[in-house]
Amino acid sequence: MQDLPGGTAREVGQVRKHALVIDHDACWGCRTCEVACAQEYDFKSKFLLVTEEGPSQDNSIHDYTYRVNVCRHCEDPPCVGACPEEAISQRDDGIVVLDADRCTGCRSCIEACPYEVIAFDEEQQVAQKCNLCRHRVDNGLIPACADNVCLAHCIYFGEPADIEATIEGKRKKRQTI
Amino acid sequence: MADFKYSNVTREMEVYGYDSVVKSFCRMCHGGCGVLVYVKDGRVKKIAGDPDCPINHGTLCAKGIGSIQLAYHPDRLTHPVRRVGPRGSGKWERISWDEALDTIAERMLRYKDAYGAESVVLGYGTGRDNEAVVYRFANTFGSPNVLTAGHFCYGPRLATTIITCGSNPVVDYENHPKCIMVWGNNLVFSNPDSYKGEPFSAALDEGAKLICVDPRLTRIASRANIWLRLRPATDAALALGMCNVIIREGLYDKEFVENYVHGWGPFVKRVSEWPLDRVEQITWAPKKQIEEAARLFATTKPAAIQWGVGIEIQANLTNNDRSLIALMGITGNLDVPGGQVLFQTPNVRNVGSFGAHGMLSREQFAKRLGGDQFRLAARFGIINPKRVWDAIIEEKPYPVKMLFLISTNPISTRANSAEVFRALEKVDFLAVSDFFITPSAALADIVLPTATWLEMDYIADFWKRHGYILPRRKVIQVGECRSDHEMLNDLAHRVGIGQYWWSDFQQGLDHILEPMGISWKQFKEMDFIRGEVKYRKYRTEGFSTPTRKLELYSTVLEKMAYDPLPQYHEPPGSPYSAPELYKEYPYILVSGRRIPGFFCSEGRQIPCLRELQPDPVVEIHPETAEKSGIKEGDWVIIESPRGKIRHRARLFAGMDPRIVFAQHGWWFPESEDPMRGWRESNVNMLTDNSYENCDPAMGGTAIRTLLCRIYPEVPQGRSDK
Repeated sequence: MQDLPGGTAREVGQVRKHALVIDHDACWGCRTCEVACAQEYDFKSKFLLVTEEGPSQDNSIHDYTYRVNVCRHCEDPPCVGACPEEAISQRDDGIVVLDADRCTGCRSCIEACPYEVIAFDEEQQVAQKCNLCRHRVDNGLIPACADNVCLAHCIYFGEPADIEATIEGKRKKRQTI
Repeated sequence: MADFKYSNVTREMEVYGYDSVVKSFCRMCHGGCGVLVYVKDGRVKKIAGDPDCPINHGTLCAKGIGSIQLAYHPDRLTHPVRRVGPRGSGKWERISWDEALDTIAERMLRYKDAYGAESVVLGYGTGRDNEAVVYRFANTFGSPNVLTAGHFCYGPRLATTIITCGSNPVVDYENHPKCIMVWGNNLVFSNPDSYKGEPFSAALDEGAKLICVDPRLTRIASRANIWLRLRPATDAALALGMCNVIIREGLYDKEFVENYVHGWGPFVKRVSEWPLDRVEQITWAPKKQIEEAARLFATTKPAAIQWGVGIEIQANLTNNDRSLIALMGITGNLDVPGGQVLFQTPNVRNVGSFGAHGMLSREQFAKRLGGDQFRLAARFGIINPKRVWDAIIEEKPYPVKMLFLISTNPISTRANSAEVFRALEKVDFLAVSDFFITPSAALADIVLPTATWLEMDYIADFWKRHGYILPRRKVIQVGECRSDHEMLNDLAHRVGIGQYWWSDFQQGLDHILEPMGISWKQFKEMDFIRGEVKYRKYRTEGFSTPTRKLELYSTVLEKMAYDPLPQYHEPPGSPYSAPELYKEYPYILVSGRRIPGFFCSEGRQIPCLRELQPDPVVEIHPETAEKSGIKEGDWVIIESPRGKIRHRARLFAGMDPRIVFAQHGWWFPESEDPMRGWRESNVNMLTDNSYENCDPAMGGTAIRTLLCRIYPEVPQGRSDK
């Protein structure tokens, strides 16, 4: 088992920042993360969707990619302000939590999200998004999609700056396009 | 709180209150990834990758996780059934295991007595690690006929590599190849034999260059330094063209060629028939790119070829495989660290010996269906499926009266489904062992409920050539399901061949392990065993071939009266081989590009996997779609001279507009029809299985490419569902 990149000791009292970062260059589109997410929620819901993008009509091959669509837990999340019911809030550690019990289904958050990763549950008539497996994170476990399921190791959980450094290191080493 | 750790088993157990976690090995595809199975209240609650497993390093695929929904599926067959209505009527009654096996045994003995053991054909499909026991049963019973996918999938790779260089050269990802040429393979979706996407990804992260040979843009192609977009089924021409460049420019490994190659002179002469002008014309791949790829592959050391079934479901598969082995060999990449290695299996009773091939009499061996025609296949225990259908329908060369299909659904997965249907409908007695009533099982007389990998003890991957054996451990029991291994061990006693089997199959596992001096009980306590890793064994031992050399000129093929040198032959049903047909069917259909979630015809009833791919999808170039009046998402008809099927259209620009890409293995478990919509979207309604379109040595049916036409199902203006 290996330590998470950037998992160095921190000063006591400093709040650790949690985020999901995807290295999209490496994503193969195998969709394991999607099913791992579903498994975590007893196959009743999932908060992540992998989509295929490109190639554009001009046959340019390098714009053919996959995208892991999941809440980025933005630093300044527009969905928080957009919600009239204060059902969405950001914790000190950065996790943006949607409380379905308080959601009235007005869909303002869905419109506000720049990543289009908030879904609408037609059955329950509420918005749905990834809460970064907070039940796992609060118990010292990595979110299901990021817990070493990805065969490309392209989903990272932790401090955004540390992760970016790791990804940059990999990018420099890679010889592929 | 401590830092977060990947795959934190201890914490996982504490937080979720699981009762236990079992290390085992998945079998949702053709290979064994290490897994951790978490159990609570006797039920599997979570499947995660095992971070300590050297094969997958803790990662998994969608299918592996989907195993939970397979094991506990409400439609799963959990007890034996006997058909009570006409074939295909979907009417069944529950029977006991004893009654089921006694009935099957009685039939087997009856046909053996009246028509000979060869009239009983056993079959398996993708193989749920039951290959060796199926062969053992057939061989000890005396039937030379085991119907498998081996004529066009993996079997050819084993047969051609064994005769050419002694074993299957597996990419040595662990030692980071510097150049990887992915050929006819999308291993990040399909997890082909002996390989996983994870170590491939890691090798790219370590800085490997990438060449991709594929008619369709994949993500691998889009990341590749060079993408060779070849016309489907022209692989051998491309490979021989690359050999031509490598030889002409002196980029081959001269020391290796001089000392370890048999037939260099004739090979060079053959390759000289393939200058790049000719190759470009045939393959549609630009000459300059072929040159660049050949140079990159030959001059970057170590380099490896990641090959897949794409090159095998073709009429020229033996030559395809052998021309790629030539590329590996002449560049000095065979059996070197980071190249492709002839790994050694641990010292256990190997699959050939456990499969009891030596116990089949010469007399029975001589009756192997197609043995006179597909001679390389016959030597490896492989038969061409049409030979079985003919033996059932026309009783030629002798009647086949009984089929016992064990984890195989040939109606969906073998060429010319209409003929397969006729054979299964006509055969005197059909027994099937499977998870569900598949379209093939729907025609059976008796269906047995088989166990998933979660429900069996077995030595996983021991028939593979990556050098590992893995202890698969039983975690749960579902209904009355039994593993095929246990079932055949039981049946053996009922047909009078018990002396070659055991009172309990666990003793069979002990038998496999015996040469290592360990028992199954001891192996179960281990993580895995790996054979000794040695490189460049040819320097001391030679290659395990008749000449002890890499046989570019095959003495085995020569003896069998085949061309001993790799050659390109135009595929049947191509624009050039069938120009008249091409006028009416103006597109090249590629059947069966790989998609995440399904393994051949499996998985359509597993909700978390079906959600990834709700409908069968055909990819059409936007220009072609425009010409044909097809829009994104339309249901379209794909038609060949043999039939019509429906797929949903997806416009995709990453391929030549003259090609369309369909999916294979489709049937509809949710359908009201007792035959589960076996025709509707089944690409094998379109494929051809005539003998002249098969690979002459292996009998592989050319189902990967054919000519088709394509048009909207509903005339424009009307809406579909």
